[in-house]
Amino acid sequence: MIRFDQVSKRYEGGHEALSQLSFEVAAGEMAFVTGHSGAGKSTLLKLIALIERPSHGQIVVDGQALAKVGRGGIPKLRRRLGMVFQDHRLLMDRTVFANVELPLLIGGIAPAERSRRVRAALEKVGLLSYERQLPDSLSTGEQQRVGIARAIVARPAVLIADEPTGNLDPQLAVEIMGLFAEFQDIGTTVLVASHDLPLIKRMKKRVVVLDHGRLVADIPAEEVL
Amino acid sequence: MNAPAVAEKPVPRSGRSQHRHFAGWREHHGWSAAASLRRLGRRPLGTLMTVAVLGLALALPLAFYLLLANVQSMGGALGRNPAISVFLKADQAGAQANLLAGELRGRPDIASVAVRTPQQGLDELATLQGFSGAVHALDDANPLPWVLVVQPKAGLDAAAVDQLVEALHGERAVDLVQDSGQWRQRLDALLDVGHRVVLVLAGLLALAALLVVGNTVRTDIAGRSEEIGVLLLLGASRAFVRRPYLYAGVWYGLFGGMLASLLALAIELALAGPAAELDRAYGGSLTLGALPWWLLLAVPLAAAVLGWIGARLVSARQLRKAL
Repeated sequence: MIRFDQVSKRYEGGHEALSQLSFEVAAGEMAFVTGHSGAGKSTLLKLIALIERPSHGQIVVDGQALAKVGRGGIPKLRRRLGMVFQDHRLLMDRTVFANVELPLLIGGIAPAERSRRVRAALEKVGLLSYERQLPDSLSTGEQQRVGIARAIVARPAVLIADEPTGNLDPQLAVEIMGLFAEFQDIGTTVLVASHDLPLIKRMKKRVVVLDHGRLVADIPAEEVL
Repeated sequence: MNAPAVAEKPVPRSGRSQHRHFAGWREHHGWSAAASLRRLGRRPLGTLMTVAVLGLALALPLAFYLLLANVQSMGGALGRNPAISVFLKADQAGAQANLLAGELRGRPDIASVAVRTPQQGLDELATLQGFSGAVHALDDANPLPWVLVVQPKAGLDAAAVDQLVEALHGERAVDLVQDSGQWRQRLDALLDVGHRVVLVLAGLLALAALLVVGNTVRTDIAGRSEEIGVLLLLGASRAFVRRPYLYAGVWYGLFGGMLASLLALAIELALAGPAAELDRAYGGSLTLGALPWWLLLAVPLAAAVLGWIGARLVSARQLRKAL
């Protein structure tokens, strides 16, 4: 579950990225956050991952009030999140397997269990046969799928994605979004920031619309046309 | 796909969970050690240069230590029985010499007294290169005095030997007292200075080694800032991120220390030939010093600790900057 309660974020220099934002994504729900460039989508995700702190308001992620999470607690919180980035952020000098394995290594999971889970995650995204390859040898879409496998391998309660289909062709973008929908189907809370309206409409999920940091629309899944 | 995790609440760690946490921590140490070693292997030239600089820096104090140990050993061997030569006045005859020798033998600080006649002195002089002509020119006249060779008791300290020399000076029949142990005291004083210099040098070069490792790790961290950022986003703790760099510091130190020990052994081997010659020249009475095995083992271990400290100091600062 993700809950924003009157959250504002003002950066140094006075720019207000988010203003009095309140919404809730229930546990096991999937929602899109959309808006034009600079609407505050990325800031919203950064606040969830504690990359930034809000200037005002309360955020609760997976039952944890983020205001109460100190510096030492940030890694633990992040281990409960799965994060997917537009630029994948894969380590190019490590194999696909080693990249996907990272969250489990960080979480102190035993080698045999790690191996089992990494293979399961790679199989889920259709890249099991690529496990020994370096990310450089994969296409952009495949790299993104490796990023998704890495995000879900530790079985996060919450999955957040920042423009995960930004660099992909429409067909591949639909496939990737389909993967996110599958994670929702098995109970993961999924929040995807995207400005790809046609794709969002096609997914028929709840849509939160931001404009200049303010919530301007919160469209339930059944009302998405 | 595996089942998703349910919302976790902070709960106290159970014994099983603690065991699993410890096992994971231990496993990551092994992983970090192996990964950092692989990284060093991936850029062999840079690694070799760093290790070479460390090895040379740490070998220098070892070489000085070896030199000092040998000088000390030689000094010990040559000055093992520092005798005091007591030259009697020219008007003193053999009877007075024997009488004085008898008196001196009764002193508790003297082990033995040998009486050397003027003729013995002259014979000895004649054997020395360049003196035979001069001795022959003397004909039957012998200007050399009677000499008592006084051997102080073993274990007498420098102050007691000085007191003995003073007492011998005070004897009416004595013209000159020559303490051959004095050079040993001077050598010991010089060796003390040398030991201090080695300590200071070792300290400075250890600091240099620390800085070399620190700078190498700093560069390494700066070059991997992207990776560090990803690890932190995935929930890695600072300790987790720092660990491979600490192991890199340990490897640099360990390999540098091993090279230093090998270099010191090579120096010892190179000196072995001339040292054996010197020993032969002194009739095999010298026991030349070698580097003790524990020191050769301790240097790599101490260097590994130095490497760890250097990496720890720098990584803490660099990671703060990277966040």
